[in-house]
Amino acid sequence: MTHQAHSYHMVDPSPWPILGAAAALLTTSGLAMWFHYNSPYLLIMGLLSTALVMLQWWRDIVRESTFQGHHTPTVQKGLRYGMVLFITSEAFFFLGFFWAFFHSSLAPTPELGGQWPPTGIQPLDPMDVPLLNTAILLASGVTVTWAHHSIMEANRKQAIHALTLTVLLGFYFTALQAMEYYEAPFSISDGVYGSTFFVSTGFHGLHVIIGSTFLLVCLLRLIKYHFTPNHHFGFEAAAWYWHFVDVVWLFLYVTIYWWGS
Amino acid sequence: QALRQISQRTISTASRRQFANRVPENQKLFQEDNGLPVHLKGGAKDSLLYRTTAGLTVCGTIYAFYYLLVSSMPKKPN
Repeated sequence: MTHQAHSYHMVDPSPWPILGAAAALLTTSGLAMWFHYNSPYLLIMGLLSTALVMLQWWRDIVRESTFQGHHTPTVQKGLRYGMVLFITSEAFFFLGFFWAFFHSSLAPTPELGGQWPPTGIQPLDPMDVPLLNTAILLASGVTVTWAHHSIMEANRKQAIHALTLTVLLGFYFTALQAMEYYEAPFSISDGVYGSTFFVSTGFHGLHVIIGSTFLLVCLLRLIKYHFTPNHHFGFEAAAWYWHFVDVVWLFLYVTIYWWGS
Repeated sequence: QALRQISQRTISTASRRQFANRVPENQKLFQEDNGLPVHLKGGAKDSLLYRTTAGLTVCGTIYAFYYLLVSSMPKKPN
């Protein structure tokens, strides 16, 4: 039986990369079919295949690490670099939308009434639900840190409690935002105010859902004893992502909700 | 280490069986020298899920290319 003379992970051949690419094709062309030909079938197939690929690809990574032991410190270092680069790319993604917001709001055109918020727009009160949402995300940052310390100290019960609280806070934020969206006196088509507001907060909300799901998966893995006090990178990646989502919200709150009202 | 010690304590009630540490069993299953790639190493459920995913994706790709060709063709007015 041959053994490798290096600490990197040479993965087994896998169908997920190519199937994932195909799923992306189906999702994007599905969007075109839905928008232009009023047919949702391709989009549904795309979203379903994307979900199936993600589930199995990440399931395989858990198998390779927790069950097969392939995640050496070298491999973990690479994963850390990867997650940092990914979060950085997401930061640039949001930067673009903040740019758009400031472009329109710092020098409001005559068509908007020369003011920000534009004439006729009733912005949401930043001291109402948005402030509660800020408190919720800040609290969830505390609970996820508590969970991390509990994992490192091998305190299983507290880790589970803290991570459960974090996930619940995440879902509470999403529920409140959904209600805010429903009740808002303005919509996405209400000029550039509506566009910048809903696209920025909308993408943020999507990231909250992604982050909450990642944390939920970590919770299930925590319950199933996958994490050890010294090796729990999946959890750390989820926590980093969650802090990033929190920071983006703080920027959104201060600029769009507060300064922009 | 402490975590492993806690997990090896005897579980008495049947309802607690779902919280028993199954990691060692899984480690044995996935390290079996059977030549299977990791995405199929879990057994029959893996193959079913793989075939469903691949089938859906391949059919969808054919569907997408078909409609791409159809929508590229000019429509003849009556």
